[in-house]
Amino acid sequence: MKTLIRLILTLSVVASSVGCNKDDKASTSTAPASLTIGVAFETLQTEYWVAGYEAIKAEAAKRGYKVVEAVADGDANRQFEQVRNFVTRKVDGIILVPKDAKTCIPMIRAANVANIPIVLFNRPADKSDTKSVAVVADNFALTRATVDYMISEAKKTGKRLKAMILVGDLGDINAVGRRDGFDAAVKEAGDTLEVVARVPTEWNQEKAQAGVVNALQANTDISFIFTSSDFLFPSIVSALKGAGKYHKADEPGHVILGGFDGDATAWQMLSDGYLDATGVQDVYFEAQQSVQAIVDLRAGKQLPEVIRDAGFVIHRSNAKEKAAQMWGANVSRK
Amino acid sequence: MRKSAPRLLLSALNHATLFLFILVLIVFGLLSPKFFTVAGLTNLFVQASSTTVVGVGMTFVLLTAGVDLSVGSIMFVAAAVAGKLALGGTSLPVALLAIVSIGLVFGLLNALLVTRLAIIAFISTLGTLYAGRGFGLWLTQTRAMNLPDNFLALGASKFVGIPTPLIIGAFVVAFAQLTLTRTSFGRQLYAVGNNLEAARKAGLNTRLLLAAVYMLSGLCAAIGGILSLAQLGAVSPTFGTNREFTAIAAAVLGGTSLFGGRGGVFPGTVLGALLIQCVENGLVILNADPYLYPLVTAALIFLAVLLDSTRSRILAHWARRKIFVEDAV
Repeated sequence: MKTLIRLILTLSVVASSVGCNKDDKASTSTAPASLTIGVAFETLQTEYWVAGYEAIKAEAAKRGYKVVEAVADGDANRQFEQVRNFVTRKVDGIILVPKDAKTCIPMIRAANVANIPIVLFNRPADKSDTKSVAVVADNFALTRATVDYMISEAKKTGKRLKAMILVGDLGDINAVGRRDGFDAAVKEAGDTLEVVARVPTEWNQEKAQAGVVNALQANTDISFIFTSSDFLFPSIVSALKGAGKYHKADEPGHVILGGFDGDATAWQMLSDGYLDATGVQDVYFEAQQSVQAIVDLRAGKQLPEVIRDAGFVIHRSNAKEKAAQMWGANVSRK
Repeated sequence: MRKSAPRLLLSALNHATLFLFILVLIVFGLLSPKFFTVAGLTNLFVQASSTTVVGVGMTFVLLTAGVDLSVGSIMFVAAAVAGKLALGGTSLPVALLAIVSIGLVFGLLNALLVTRLAIIAFISTLGTLYAGRGFGLWLTQTRAMNLPDNFLALGASKFVGIPTPLIIGAFVVAFAQLTLTRTSFGRQLYAVGNNLEAARKAGLNTRLLLAAVYMLSGLCAAIGGILSLAQLGAVSPTFGTNREFTAIAAAVLGGTSLFGGRGGVFPGTVLGALLIQCVENGLVILNADPYLYPLVTAALIFLAVLLDSTRSRILAHWARRKIFVEDAV
């Protein structure tokens, strides 16, 4: 009897272990049964970062993965500690939004030493000997496409327009990419545009508002404004209202407006007819690619250093068709 | 004769911000005819009003050798609550009252931390800065709020042809100036800043005085928030960020010492705030390279600290000489 029981137990253990192996193999080649991903954001001080944070958590939840969260409130040292904590906890992968391109390099190195895959979300690192994958919007190309669209609108006026750009924090590589995209587009439209104001904002709405008011005072005929982030639109709108220049696209005196990000304010302005175009970062694509990159790196796949989010330009003509992909439109509906 | 040279130097240092302000006005005026217009100067005063008011509150704190790093967060929390109320249909006066109340509550919190728990001001207000920012982010869920048009209307309104933000700023400055120069409370603040222990031994209620300056700073931050909000018409998660540094720079440029006991709001802090705003406006009007802005800001802050330390060194030198003379006698 005892022998029979032993035989049954042995067979059941073998059977179950064979079954487990099958599951494990399946999970490593496609999607692991369960992973723990450390998600470290530098800040949650803009709608875009919150949308990205939520999208990553949603993507992980969809796959049944656990997420460990950390926010550094703009402090690179604190973020380094948070990443080290992830390493100590032996998470299966790290998704990082660094403060800038340089301070993240020791964090990447710490993850590399522990053999933990690390993915940078929306902000790439500088060149170094470390290994990581960055999922980023193509700031240059998307800005250029947005400004090209604005220029095509400007050409319809048949005049040479005076233009203004609101520049982001010059320590942020994304802001620099957007500024360069703007410059590349306007360089080829010298007969349509003359850039008369470059307002540095340091990603600060109050600075932006003061800058736009002063630029409009110095150049009362500015009629083309591009902002490096949609979150600065309230500053522009306030200044334009003060100058009596805030008009819908089909009204006389309209100032051609364009931006970057695709936030809820931009969606509202587009729906109301004040905004001409904005370059939308596809936050859902970026979140999906970030989580997938962790899975792929764990499976030993070779990935490019940078996975590009091409994004898209939304304007009045394609607004209805593209609305579902625009994160700001979705935030606006909540 | 030997004494006159340092006195002249001290006098020049005390008026350095005024000379610098006039110089900046002349240079920008020459470089751009659009700078020296009525509209340009009105913009300058209106845009500087918020920094001036926050700087006035900071001046009170600095005079007692303290610091308030939480002013930007107070502005944000107050604006966030006002935004929520306004979007919920609350009237403008009630929303404004809420802003002022929040400023006072945060001021009281700082006062309790500094005077009751004896936590140094730098750490107390740093804690409030983070707590306030976190609370504001939670309250807004990191969503920008576009406020009803009556907020912008407040910023654009005029009374007898003078912009309302300018009138509010002038009222705050006048009140602060009278308080510092014409009341015993004002004189006691200087005494506390010069030597806290001596002031306490002289019978001053130093805890109450310190508590009062942090509440005044909170109140000024809230009023400064209203002035910014009235010009912007929106609350974003970055509202008020780094405002503490601008306010400190305005006060120190205006002659208020970081070591306490010296300074004032008029012309001091007012000139400091105007100088900072004047440089920023001038650079925009000249369409300067954006990389130039942080360099100029850094130069201003460096200048402010240099002026303060040089003034302090000269005064310390004079104090030593007096002691020497008495011993010799």
